[in-house]
Amino acid sequence: MNFLDALTTAFALPFMGRALIVMLVLSVAAGVIGVFINLRGLEFLSDGLTHAVFPGLAAGFVLSGHNGVLIGALIAAAAATIVLTLMSNNKVASDATTAIVLTAMFSIGVIIVSASSGRAGGLEQLLFGHLLTVTDTEAITTVVVSLIALVLVLLTFRRQVFRAFDSVASAAAGYRRVVTELVLNVAIALVIVAASNAVGNLLVLAVLIVPGALSRLVSNRLGGLFVVAISAGLLASWIGLAAGFSISVNGGVDVPGGATVALTFIALYAIALIVRVIRKGANA
Amino acid sequence: MRNISTPALAIRGGALSYGTTTALTDIDITVMPGEAMALIGPNGSGKSTLLKGVLGLIPLVEGTMTFGESAGADTGIGYLPQTEHIDPEFPVSLKQVVMMGRYRKLGLFTFPGKADRHAVKKAIADVGLTNVANKRFGSLSGGQQQRGFLARALASEPGLLLLDEPFNGLDQPNRDALLQTIRELKAAGVGIIVTTHDLDLAREVCDTVLFVNGRQIAFGPKDDVLTLANLQEVFSDFQVEIDEHTVVVPGHEGH
Ligand SMILES: Nc1ncnc2c1ncn2[C@@H]1O[C@H](COP(=O)(O)OP(=O)(O)O)[C@@H](O)[C@H]1O
Ligand SMILES: [Mg+2]
Repeated sequence: MNFLDALTTAFALPFMGRALIVMLVLSVAAGVIGVFINLRGLEFLSDGLTHAVFPGLAAGFVLSGHNGVLIGALIAAAAATIVLTLMSNNKVASDATTAIVLTAMFSIGVIIVSASSGRAGGLEQLLFGHLLTVTDTEAITTVVVSLIALVLVLLTFRRQVFRAFDSVASAAAGYRRVVTELVLNVAIALVIVAASNAVGNLLVLAVLIVPGALSRLVSNRLGGLFVVAISAGLLASWIGLAAGFSISVNGGVDVPGGATVALTFIALYAIALIVRVIRKGANA
Repeated sequence: MRNISTPALAIRGGALSYGTTTALTDIDITVMPGEAMALIGPNGSGKSTLLKGVLGLIPLVEGTMTFGESAGADTGIGYLPQTEHIDPEFPVSLKQVVMMGRYRKLGLFTFPGKADRHAVKKAIADVGLTNVANKRFGSLSGGQQQRGFLARALASEPGLLLLDEPFNGLDQPNRDALLQTIRELKAAGVGIIVTTHDLDLAREVCDTVLFVNGRQIAFGPKDDVLTLANLQEVFSDFQVEIDEHTVVVPGHEGH
C-alpha cells in the first residue's frame, strides 16, 4: 500500500482507526496547552515534568504491565507537578539543580525497567510508545486524560491568558496566581501522561512543544495561535500515522507510529520556519 | 447611585511588609466615593507598596482594611501599575488587553456581550486610542501602552481606582486628558488614589493628601496637609517644587 492510499484507506483498519482517534484528541489538548506553554515560556518545566513522569511509567509497567503505566504516571505527575510548582514559586532551586534531579529521575526509571526481567521490549515501548498496538482500554484512558487536561484549561482560559500576558495585573484583578499556575501545570502533566502513553515518553515534547512554537511562527493573533496549533496537531497525526503505516507495510520494518508522527511535527515546523523566512525576505 | 456615606476604602492602623521587612506603617486613611486622594512621598517611601497592599498583592500585617460595597476587595478595584513588564511580542491587540479589564465581571461560561464591548470601546476612546484599537499591543509606543493600561483599568468600571504615577511621561495634551478623566470618574462616584511627585497636580484634582515616608506623615484635606512643615518632614534632603519655585528643603538630623 503506498503512502497516498494509506492516507485514506489505512484508517479503516481497527488498530489504525484507534491510533488516529487517540492522536486527534491528544492533538487538540496538546495544541491548546502547547500555546500556553509557549506564551508562558514553560518549555523547561514541561521537559522537567516529562522526565519526572518516567519513573512512574516504569514502575507502573513493571508492576502491572501496560494498564499500570497510566496509574504510575499519574502518581509521579502529581508529585512532580506540586514540587515543581512550589519550587518555581519560591525560587528555591536553580535550573541546574532541577535539571540534575530530573535526569536522576529519568535514569531511575530506565534502571527500573531494565532490571525487571520478563518484560522484553518494555523500555522501548515506554520511550517510543506503541501507538499501533494500543488496547481499547489504553486508548480510552488516554483520550479521557487528554480531555480532562483540555477542560481544565478551557475552564480557566481567561485567567490563563491574563496571567500569561500580565502576571501582576491578573493578580491585582483578583486571580490568585498559584491557582492559575497549578491548574495549567496539572493540565500539562496530564497531557504528558496521555502523550507518554501514545507516542512514548521520549517523543512527548514533539507533540507538546512544537505546535505552540509553530503557531507563533504563523500567526500573531491570539485566536490564530490556537487554530494553527490544533490544525498542525491534527495534520501531523494523520500524515504521521499514514507514513508509519506505509513504511511498516512496504519496508517490512516495524516503525513506531509515534516516531513518524513526531517527525511530521518537526517537518511542519521546518516548513513554517522556511515560509516565514521567505516572507520576511520578500517584505524586506 | 452609589452609597456615598460609606467609604470606598478605609484603613486603620495599617502596616505592610515584604516578608520580614516592614515597608510602611501607621496608615490611617479614608477614601470616600467621588473623592481623590494624592499619595505623595519620595522614591522608596512606600507609595507603590500601599497600592499593592490595597490590592491584596502583599499582606496587611497590622490593622484593618475595609472596602465600600462598590469596591469589593476582589472585583471593584481598577489598577494602573507604575511599571509593566510585558512581552512586546505577545500576540494580543489593544482591544483584547482592555477587555481583560472586564474578565472578572464575566461568568465562567459567558462570552463578552454588548455591555462589555461598549465599555471597552468607551475606555479606549477616553484615552484617545481608538485609531489603534486593533493593533498589536506590543507595537504601540510606551506612552500609548501606558494609556492602554489605563483604559484596561477604566473598562472594569471600578468603584476604587489606584493610579501609580500615571502622569509620568505624559505630554501636556494627554496630561490634561487624564485630569479630565479623573474629574469625570469623581463625578461618577469613583474613589481614586493617585501617587505623584507633582504638588500642583495634587492641588488641581485631589481632595485629600496622604504624605508617606516609610510611615504615614500626614493625612487630611489637601489645604490642611499641604504645609511647608509636612513637606520638610517628608522630603528632608530632597528638592521640592512649591509654586514653581525650586526650594531646597533643609535636612534635619535626629528624630
Ligand atoms: N518586592 C519587594 N521586596 C522587598 N522590598 C521591597 C519590594 N518592593 C519594594 N520594596 C521596598 O519597600 C520600600 C517602598 O518601596 P515602594 O513602595 O516601591 O516605594 P515608592 O513607590 O514610594 O517609590 C522600599 O524601601 C523598597 O526597597
Ligand atoms: Mg512606586
